[in-house]
Amino acid sequence: MRRDPTPARSLRTRLSFDERELQSRRNFFGITDDDLARLARLEPFAHKHMDDVVEEFYALLLGHPETKRFFPDDATVRRVKRLQREYFVALFAGRCDLEYVENRLRVGAVHEQIGMAPRWYIGAYRKYLSQLIERMTGDLGHADATAAYESALKLVMFDMSLAIDAYIAANLETLGRHQAAIRELSTPVIKVQDRILLLPLIGAIDSQRAQQVMETVLLRVIEEKAKVMIIDIAGVPVVDTKVADHLMKTTAAMRLVGAQTILTGISAQVARTIIQLGVDISSMHTLARLQDGIELALSMLGLQILPAKEPNP
Amino acid sequence: MVEIVQSWELPIAREEDIVFVRRKARALAQERGFDAFATAALTTAASELARNVWVHGGGGKAIIEELTDGYRTGIRLTFADEGPGIADVDRVMQGGFSTARSLGLGVSGTRRLVEEFDLQTQPGKGTKVIICKWTRF
Amino acid sequence: MSAHGPIPILRVGSNLLTTIHIDLHDTVAEAFQQDVLLSIERTGATGLVIDITGLDEVDTYVARILADTGRMAKLMGAQTVVVGMRPEVAATLIRMGYLMEGVETALDVDEGLALLIDRQNKKRRGT
Repeated sequence: MRRDPTPARSLRTRLSFDERELQSRRNFFGITDDDLARLARLEPFAHKHMDDVVEEFYALLLGHPETKRFFPDDATVRRVKRLQREYFVALFAGRCDLEYVENRLRVGAVHEQIGMAPRWYIGAYRKYLSQLIERMTGDLGHADATAAYESALKLVMFDMSLAIDAYIAANLETLGRHQAAIRELSTPVIKVQDRILLLPLIGAIDSQRAQQVMETVLLRVIEEKAKVMIIDIAGVPVVDTKVADHLMKTTAAMRLVGAQTILTGISAQVARTIIQLGVDISSMHTLARLQDGIELALSMLGLQILPAKEPNP
Repeated sequence: MVEIVQSWELPIAREEDIVFVRRKARALAQERGFDAFATAALTTAASELARNVWVHGGGGKAIIEELTDGYRTGIRLTFADEGPGIADVDRVMQGGFSTARSLGLGVSGTRRLVEEFDLQTQPGKGTKVIICKWTRF
Repeated sequence: MSAHGPIPILRVGSNLLTTIHIDLHDTVAEAFQQDVLLSIERTGATGLVIDITGLDEVDTYVARILADTGRMAKLMGAQTVVVGMRPEVAATLIRMGYLMEGVETALDVDEGLALLIDRQNKKRRGT
């Protein structure tokens, strides 16, 4: 699914990648000004080889079905080849500053966006390096090629570290969005009647989910100005001491914001388990059937369901 | 690997200082994207522990640190005093120590509000409580 | 209604309404309790609504002040209802294990007053 790409600058600030971090990382990767100057002197080399390097690069990616699918049409291939040429040339621009970093972070963010896992671009970076050593050895003397390759290797590895950082950060953000969606879906609060809400709980309740449930029902009760919240637990497979504790905590929290809680869907099995475990939930309103819970909620509001009047003859 | 992004040290010498500590924790939490529930948990924990420093510790200090593990933000609060220390830590942590009831309820309660909690105390040597809360992702 | 502290106390029929909009600590809390109790004494109010919509945080200290105020008011014949607790405040208190039992609660000022008036009517009718 396509989304708007993460602005690289905000990604950089979200990763707290400032000048201090840049210096620290350059130090660790051993990228000196000499390295950058050496690469800058090789700019003509870069222009000479860039088309061939990029062609071979995409021969690899388009030659494997797992990576071919990221380049579905010719327009896409042309576009990424152009971007890849720019990338290749940028390695020899003699710069490694925050703007350079932002561009490299964008790579990782885009890969996450299109769903390309790190293993593929790590494999592709390998191709870059193999190309570089081959062509540098061909064009420069042995000593010069070794020094040039050393500098390029440092920068390519640096780029890869940024791409992976950005990929992970973007991935975590996607995870966060998914988790938020799951939270919402797993706590579907329904308005049954004015001021009466119903939450049918389905599935197991662990402490993390219990917290989400409590937070969601609190927000909805206040939003809807509800006086009664019915929580139906017929769909909860296991109701043990912990789950009972969670339910009591939610009830206590509801009380603090002025709402009453009714627990329905207590099956025969659950009733037996709770008493046998010695759990005391007698302070809560509990019922077997949801419909009885609704009737109780209505009576709490001073309302009741009556049969319709006979039609006039 | 956890890194300290920034840190502040605030004194707890008067009752008003409790409010300053709480406000700083709140501002930082909101800036770093903690939701309302997480923010309330953190600032309430800060209030409780800062108050303990002032009431039971005879004053002390709070250290507020913004942490990062590269992806999430953490807020770590350290409350330190050189007061009498806590004699029976276990009972206090269970929240049932009658003569220090106010202390017990606050401390054992705050433990449930945060992800990381560490209490170091020695009778006569003072108390240090370190708590940490992280953003969800 | 005059108050010594910064927290105002209004009269609504036979009930009192007070809105806490600032941090409750030390001298402020003292003054608050004093003012509330003096107001009950002066007016003979039978109900007190404490509106804490403005509090983004309630720790055990503040919770205790609210509970104590309620108990003190009860001794003087006034029933207290705490209203407007924010969801994150409620969740935090419960997570800490502080249930605030012994304090009546309602969603907002309207509900709080309705609750008090309902009780007062029932009492008058002898139900």
